Amino acid sequence: MSEGIDSRPKRPSKAKPATGEPPKKKRRPSLEEESDATDGPEDLNAKILLMEKGILETKKNYNDIVVLLGIMGDYESGNPESMLATVALSRVFMRLLGQGALVPKRTLSDKQLAVVNWLREQFKSFKTLLLSLLDDEELGVTALTLCMRVLQAEGQVEKDEYSFPTEFLRQIVHTVLQSEDEDVAKAYTEEYLEQFDDIRYHTFSSITAILQDVGEEDKADMFDAVLPILSALDGVPESAEELEDWYIARPKKKTHNIRSVQQHKRRGQEAWLALMSIVETKEQRKRLLKLVSTIIAPWFTKPELLADFLTNSYDAGGSMSLLALSGVFYLIQERNLDYPLFYHKLYSLLDNEILHSKHRAPFFRLLNTFLLSTHLPAALVASFIKRLCRLSLNAPPSAIVFVIPWIYNQMREHPTCTAMLHREIRDPDVKKDLRQNGMDDPFDPNETDPMQTDAIESSLWEVTQLQSHYHPNVSTIAKILSEQFTKQSYNIEDFLDHSYATLLDAELSKELRKTPAVEFHIPKRVFLPQDEPAVNPNSLVAKLWDFS
Amino acid sequence: MAGGGSQLKRLKASLRDQGITGPQQSKKQKRRAAQDEQARNDKRLQRGAVLGGIREQFNPFDLKHAKAPKFEVTSNRPDPKAGSIRGRPGEAKAAAEEKRFGENDPTMTPEEKMLERFAREKIRSHKKNAFDLEEDMDDMGMGGLTHGGKALVFNEEEAVDDFDEDLDDAASDISDREQQRRKRVRAMAAEDQEEAEPQRKRTKKEIMEEVIAKSKMHKYERQQAKDEDDDLRAQIDKDMAEIRAALYASGSKRPEPVQTEIPTMGGLDREAFNKTFDLEVKKLAQDRRAQPADRTKTDEEKAEDEAKFLKKLEEKRQKRMRGESVSDSDASEDDKAKNHNSDEDMDHDDDFGLGGGLASKAPEDEADEESEEDESDEEESDEDNDRDAPTKKKPTAAELGFDDEDDFVIDDDLVASGSDINPFDSGDELDLEETEAADGAESESDDEDEFTKGLLNEEEARNPMFKAESSENTTALEKGDDKGLPFTFPCPQTKEEFESIARAHPLVHLPTIVQRIRALYHPKLDSKNKERLGTFATVLVEFISQPFGVAFDPAVWPSFAVLESLVRHVHSLSKMFPVEIGNHFRQMMIQIKEERPLALEVGDIVMLTAVGTVFPPSDHFNSVVTPGILTATRYLGIKVPRTLGEHATGVYLSILMLQFQQPVKRFVPEVINFLLNTICALSPVAPKASLGRFPLHASDQALRISGAQKVTPRKLRCSDCAIEVEAELATETKVSLMDTALQVCDAAADTWTGKDAFIETFDQVQNVVKRVLIQKNSAHLPAQLISRLEKLQTKLERMMRLAKLARRPLELHHHRPLAIKTYIPKFEDSFDPNKHYDPDRERAEMAKLKAEHKKERKGAMRELRKDANFMAREKLKVKKAKDEAHEKKMKRLISEIQSEEGREANEYERERSARKRAKNR
Repeated sequence: MSEGIDSRPKRPSKAKPATGEPPKKKRRPSLEEESDATDGPEDLNAKILLMEKGILETKKNYNDIVVLLGIMGDYESGNPESMLATVALSRVFMRLLGQGALVPKRTLSDKQLAVVNWLREQFKSFKTLLLSLLDDEELGVTALTLCMRVLQAEGQVEKDEYSFPTEFLRQIVHTVLQSEDEDVAKAYTEEYLEQFDDIRYHTFSSITAILQDVGEEDKADMFDAVLPILSALDGVPESAEELEDWYIARPKKKTHNIRSVQQHKRRGQEAWLALMSIVETKEQRKRLLKLVSTIIAPWFTKPELLADFLTNSYDAGGSMSLLALSGVFYLIQERNLDYPLFYHKLYSLLDNEILHSKHRAPFFRLLNTFLLSTHLPAALVASFIKRLCRLSLNAPPSAIVFVIPWIYNQMREHPTCTAMLHREIRDPDVKKDLRQNGMDDPFDPNETDPMQTDAIESSLWEVTQLQSHYHPNVSTIAKILSEQFTKQSYNIEDFLDHSYATLLDAELSKELRKTPAVEFHIPKRVFLPQDEPAVNPNSLVAKLWDFS
Repeated sequence: MAGGGSQLKRLKASLRDQGITGPQQSKKQKRRAAQDEQARNDKRLQRGAVLGGIREQFNPFDLKHAKAPKFEVTSNRPDPKAGSIRGRPGEAKAAAEEKRFGENDPTMTPEEKMLERFAREKIRSHKKNAFDLEEDMDDMGMGGLTHGGKALVFNEEEAVDDFDEDLDDAASDISDREQQRRKRVRAMAAEDQEEAEPQRKRTKKEIMEEVIAKSKMHKYERQQAKDEDDDLRAQIDKDMAEIRAALYASGSKRPEPVQTEIPTMGGLDREAFNKTFDLEVKKLAQDRRAQPADRTKTDEEKAEDEAKFLKKLEEKRQKRMRGESVSDSDASEDDKAKNHNSDEDMDHDDDFGLGGGLASKAPEDEADEESEEDESDEEESDEDNDRDAPTKKKPTAAELGFDDEDDFVIDDDLVASGSDINPFDSGDELDLEETEAADGAESESDDEDEFTKGLLNEEEARNPMFKAESSENTTALEKGDDKGLPFTFPCPQTKEEFESIARAHPLVHLPTIVQRIRALYHPKLDSKNKERLGTFATVLVEFISQPFGVAFDPAVWPSFAVLESLVRHVHSLSKMFPVEIGNHFRQMMIQIKEERPLALEVGDIVMLTAVGTVFPPSDHFNSVVTPGILTATRYLGIKVPRTLGEHATGVYLSILMLQFQQPVKRFVPEVINFLLNTICALSPVAPKASLGRFPLHASDQALRISGAQKVTPRKLRCSDCAIEVEAELATETKVSLMDTALQVCDAAADTWTGKDAFIETFDQVQNVVKRVLIQKNSAHLPAQLISRLEKLQTKLERMMRLAKLARRPLELHHHRPLAIKTYIPKFEDSFDPNKHYDPDRERAEMAKLKAEHKKERKGAMRELRKDANFMAREKLKVKKAKDEAHEKKMKRLISEIQSEEGREANEYERERSARKRAKNR
């Protein structure tokens, strides 16, 4: 279709001087184009083309616009001519716009003004029809193209003054957002939103406006529609030079809002804030949190505005906190956000679930970053170490596998913590007391302040227990802590992405190269109890399970 | 030697002492002396000897004394008696003097001789490095400190190092032995010399060849003689007819002429004969019967060997448990090296054999659904390299001849050659014998082999009639025994085949069928049988893990007694086919991993149980058990059980994991997590707060026990694992589940008692037990359960107290402080100050190139300069020649001119004078 639009406008200009016979000439090319069409439609097609030509030739034929609009409005019945009429009309209006026929000038007479106003009305109804076409499933993408062309033509009416048809764009955006057809939204995002800076700018404004007066019941749908569009916009302009793709010729004035990066960012920020304001469920919140540090935050000229959203999420606990952590970290790092008792909060995140959580790898990447600083007090680091050790007593091997090297690295950074691995008691009194009464773990697991847990007075008995872990590789890793610390540090990344499945894969996917050792003794009984339990004690399975 | 005085005085004194000089003799004395001529003669000889002695004494440098080695321990040469005379340089020199250059050459003038000798002397002394401190100190005339020509030894007793008597002794031992060896060598050499021609020493080979050749010749000659005799006898035999005819000169027919040529040994040529002889000898040597038989061992020796073998087995197990690589003695060196390497790898590469992880995967969806990871292959191979195992196949117990009870025939080869390994029975059979002795009822033949009794004995097995292939007799055998069970079966190669055989007979007889198949297709009977049995073994593995391809159903499945004996068959077969069976178990695990990691079936847990019996779970790493354990813990760790069946499966796996860890007591965190979750899920009221550090799953209200005061707990069954919930109804199952879970906790506490973090591990159990015991919960529970809970609680309290008493701060780092890395200074043996010893290769290379360049440049410059000089010289020459020629020419011209001028002048003079004269005139 778009080819048609490109090629057609030239033809009338060529055929302009011709009068009586051109219709025949005109018909032939159209016949060639739709040679397999039946007689009726063929006539109609020809008629539409004739009308289009007529309208452009003389004002007297303007009434045909109404006819064309009628054909166009017929699209719902699946009439193929309606599309043709739409195309013809869009050509007509683009031409009229180009001629300035829709601009009421003072110099015009009342009669002429009436014509202009009438034309404007027709144009309005044409746009409305076009937008309803946009909602159509089959014609949506084509209609979008026409919409945008008309938008472009409308925007370029005023030669000397910049005027973006924001109203029309807002209508387009609104329709796109409400459209069931994903292709339309995708096409709009890919072909216009990501390509043109001014479209993006005005879309942001439109979205903000739309979101501000969205109804209660539409919030969820609107969220689902807006999020993919906004999250696709990750290319934040850094300087005014980067603003160079214009759909409608840019204003000449350099101070114009649309030529300022700040304004672009502000629009983005407003749009995101508007989206955040309609968040209702945890699920939506999590989806946003995942994007915060990568896509959302760069749009914000005042990231502090994010802080509320983030800290609320961070305080929510559970996996929400884990997700919010990266955003909070972004603010702390980039914007010097002061989060009171940050390490308290971080410490409280180390709960029963953390080592089993699906977010544990990203969380530990961050945790590693937070605790890397050598300026942290040793008592605090010791609390984290001890807590993680405790937790790894109940953890899957894939978690233990990175907790231990992490502890190793922390011990290298904070050598004071090695007291948890090696503590010789020299005081004879204490020694005697120890011999008589043993000792309790000085570590207080219920203390929430990582500075007060006394973890540094404790020992990592958990680690020595894990050295006899059933998985050979885990126990080998656990042994690095009782060996001499000759290595500078371990790369935590090597250990983070493991799971039962990968560990099993590692064991099972390689060929059995070495003959496996076979148990020499063949037991008399496997499932059933022994005949003589006094001589051969029963196995645990036979004792606790009934196989008979 | 006398203490003081000058050399002369001492000489005098010693001469006097020896009675050579003395006070003037009186005439009487002289006469008397002259009287006995003999005595005088003697005396003269004696005098010569004495004088020689004195001369020697006063010229110590004539003698060279053997020097004791500087340090005894550094020398492996026999210790020469210190002070013994090793050489007489003076005499030697004198002797050498005779052979001096040109001594007997009358054609040489004394000057020439001297010159020549001097030159030679120079050459000789030039070879030695005068400043070499190490070498040949005593070979040099001047080297080494001496006093009086003897090497300086300060005190002979002290010089002996008394550091270690034993060492000394050993050293002398060695030297003694060494001496003996030398003596032997010398003696042998002497013998050789005696035997061999004086001109050349022959090699041993030559001698032996000669001996062989001689013996062959003798043999050949004897044969020849014998052949001649035979010929003669044949001749006589041939003539016998004639003789007989002559004797019985009757009209009997003449016998046909006998063939005269009888091929005899003697008829063969010598070469061929030798060849056949050699061949015969070789054959005889290779005959097995020629080998000496082994002595039958006594009972004590047998017992000792057995004990040794068991000890070795246990040692190997311990080694595997610690994660060291076990190997056979011949491969051990190699192995150690490899092991070392892999250790190093581990140090340097941080690769703990974990595999690649989720590298290629998005991190979000890793922990909850852990099934669809893929791992890149190169990482795999990396890892393979890491845990590099010796690829050499380890002989199995069966191959060593230690066949278990199920292997009823001993391999022929082993009987013939390997009977040095005592074919005693396995310990297992000893147990069996013991129990059966206690029974007293069983006949002796019974302990032979439970799997083969009533079957073919070995002789029968050898009989081809019993071969499965010879079908003529099979019809009779197929009729079967008294139970209607045939004696022969085809060897099943697929699970379907085996199942069809199994279906045809009552399932109780399945073990008998397997026995018979194993007997019929024993590898000894046919070369193809090994392969067949290997496949059959894998079929059995498959059958165990899913009998008849259906989920657990007591009606279809064979009883566990049958399954058990099948597992034992697999175990026994695994000694013959460890790789096949191990691989097949792994196949089953891969199947589980791909298809149903979190929905284990009864067949799967039976399979895992079998893995734990066939392969030792005490090993640090075992390529079959380790993935098996992971398969189980994956279920325990990730599964959120929703039904009683899933809970029961988990509880069974917990029991199994605990059983696996009984010998070594390794810690399995998943077991505690799962058990506590199960107990919490079953307890009548849901816990409000977390009771420990295990992740508590949300659970269904329907699973909770309620109003079960009258229910008696029972043992869990496999059918419990399979049931789908009618949770409200299955109160008995619920109570039993909780009861079993508590018992497993109890067993876990026993297993892991003494672990460092026992308190931290079991305080959660304690919390949970306490929680279940509160009024709201206990009201719903039966009394047995409550008493079990209370018992467990008191037990845990006691154990906690003990653990607390035993707790000490960790002291893990009793390492020697790390030494600062040092570099051993490198000494150059032949240091040359002109050379560069740059440790940096590249720099050294560069310096070398630079030096070369400089040298070349210098050379080139010199060349150029020379050339330039030459050119200049040549030019100068040419120029000189030119100048000379020019000068000559000029001279000539000048002289010419001058002569001309002179003539003209003369003429002028003459003219003038003539004119003057004329004027005057």
